Amino acid sequence: MKATFPHLLHLDIALGVLYPALGVEIITPPPITQKTIEIGVKLAPQNACFPLKVTLANFIEGIELGADTIFMAGGVGPCRFGYYGQIQRIILEDLGYNVNFVLLDHPRYGIRPFIRALQAMAGGRVLSSRVIKVASLAWKILRFSEELETERRALRAQVKNRQQLDEIVEGALEQLRQVNNGESLQAIQEATRKKLNSLERKEIEDLIKVGIVGEIYIAQETKINFNVEKILGDLGAYVHNSVSTVEYVLHTLPFTHSQEKLEAWKLAKPYLKRFVGGEGIDTVGSTIRYAQQGFDGVIHLYPFTCMPEVVAKSILTTVSKDYDLPILHLAIDEHSGEAGLVTRVEAFVDVLERRKKLNKRKLEVS
Amino acid sequence: MKVGIPRGLLFYRFYALWKTFLEELGAEVVTSPPTNKNIIQQGLTYAVEEICFPAKVFLGHALYLKDRVDLLFIPRVVSFHRKEYNCPKILALPDLARNLFSIPGERIIDDEINMREEGMRGWQKGFLNIGKHFTTKESKIMKALQLAEKAYKEYQTNLKQGILPEDLIDHKNPLPLRERKIVLLGHTYLLSDSYINMNIAKKVNDLNYSVITPDMVEEEKKRYYLSTIPKPSFWTISNEIIGSALYHLKERKAEVRGFIHLVSFECGPDSLVGELIERLLKREKESLPYLRLEIDEHTGEAGLVTRLEAFVDMMEWRYKNIESHVSSFASS
Repeated sequence: MKATFPHLLHLDIALGVLYPALGVEIITPPPITQKTIEIGVKLAPQNACFPLKVTLANFIEGIELGADTIFMAGGVGPCRFGYYGQIQRIILEDLGYNVNFVLLDHPRYGIRPFIRALQAMAGGRVLSSRVIKVASLAWKILRFSEELETERRALRAQVKNRQQLDEIVEGALEQLRQVNNGESLQAIQEATRKKLNSLERKEIEDLIKVGIVGEIYIAQETKINFNVEKILGDLGAYVHNSVSTVEYVLHTLPFTHSQEKLEAWKLAKPYLKRFVGGEGIDTVGSTIRYAQQGFDGVIHLYPFTCMPEVVAKSILTTVSKDYDLPILHLAIDEHSGEAGLVTRVEAFVDVLERRKKLNKRKLEVS
Repeated sequence: MKVGIPRGLLFYRFYALWKTFLEELGAEVVTSPPTNKNIIQQGLTYAVEEICFPAKVFLGHALYLKDRVDLLFIPRVVSFHRKEYNCPKILALPDLARNLFSIPGERIIDDEINMREEGMRGWQKGFLNIGKHFTTKESKIMKALQLAEKAYKEYQTNLKQGILPEDLIDHKNPLPLRERKIVLLGHTYLLSDSYINMNIAKKVNDLNYSVITPDMVEEEKKRYYLSTIPKPSFWTISNEIIGSALYHLKERKAEVRGFIHLVSFECGPDSLVGELIERLLKREKESLPYLRLEIDEHTGEAGLVTRLEAFVDMMEWRYKNIESHVSSFASS
């Protein structure tokens, strides 16, 4: 068995440590490029949301490298993500690919298929002490890879040498791929934190703070969203991203929950009374949280026609008014162009800077 | 008390039920008029551009009623089938109206009807909460619900006979029955609003075909054929569409000549389910022609008619050729 899986930011690093340790041979799909997008667009339904197209192309590129098995997660709705696997499988079948599609669906669709899928993904037994040990290491790696990106977003505008920042983060991510025990991970963590702390900072008055909210795939996958966070950082903005795979997994697993998400849901209640699938309610809640924390603006990233995010967008118009918070909505799909996106982000940052100056002057006068 | 029911989305499914229920509780029920240009315009002005056309139309209707009634009736119909959902836009419908029009929360009846986990208990709980806006007596509410369910059954029976929801609601004369049929797939709210679907049922009828909608297929049949695919979707209405498509495919009647799937451009569920149906139809050895028509506020009537006519021509040509082929084969 040679298994392939979809990309999602640095998920491949954690899985690349997890599976070999479990004795499962994996084939990491090649990094997402324009060609990947073209494959997905050609084969997927025209009006399907963008992540379906890109992940389908990941599978195909993985199969071309020799994969014969696909690992994919399912869901119970009402967001379309839960039905991706079914559509992708039927498309691959019709294309004549003879692959084993292992779909980890919610136990709601039958506890047996769930355990069988989990077993297949864990290379045999689910609950051996070795599986638990390796899984927890992979989990820590995923967490640290997200922490690295959090640091990079926050620091980009503040450090004197951005290239150095990138080198440290990229270097650490590369090193993570070689981790095989807790000690080597800890060593990387300590060394990287030290390096990041020693970076020379600029003195910045009135640092613009921008929050990112939106759909889990588009808001995180920098290869698809034109690396909006880098554009923002280069323009001199401190960036925080509320979307995280770690929090998503914590919230989806039956016995854990994400404090961050619970808090966001509570904040969203006055505007959106219930969960509407995907990250719809998180988007609303996180935007309110950013407003309360004094962020200057929010960027909302989502796939074009994403149902939960379109609901969130409708509701954010009111949130924006009530909290006097500028929000830039960016719908991403295969038709999005980089130049147009950069122009919009630049204009948005200009607005935020101007607003900040005006507000300050107002405060000084009064 | 005047209660307004916007004429859109689930209205076409539950109108008989909602109206009877509210009237039994002493409310004066007001519905918005059939969709017109003005209502659409209002919807387009307020809704975000990316939401689906039927949702925009719904918002237009809600806005029409806003200042004409005391209470707007926009229940949050999370689910009307066990283990299934409605789409996120329907789940958030009262919130959308409240936020976009800045209506105070207490002017909208937005109680949740959710059969996903609890089945009938969730259904009754929902209506009990709605009833409490009008009376404190639970027995009165349950009695109203019973009568409402009876009216709903009657409405469904009429639909099964082949009458379109709009004709039932507005007491219009049904279209003449044609011998040959086209299966018209799609969400009830799209198939039933003749203004937004450019009167497709009539246009098909003028071409000498009657339509069969998912509403006209027995519930058990739809559910049976749905269960034959590996994993049904989690959207009730889309599941009914899959079920009726497969029913017509597998229990083929001679008068059924083809499938038309009417979808709104930004419909999330149909973007996947439409693909699934198309592929399942293609896999069948002797399948029937399939046409997917996408509709939104920019759709032109002329374009739609042309595609419809071309499709019917192709369908007839194909039917004749396959027929002659079969007969010649049989005689030799």
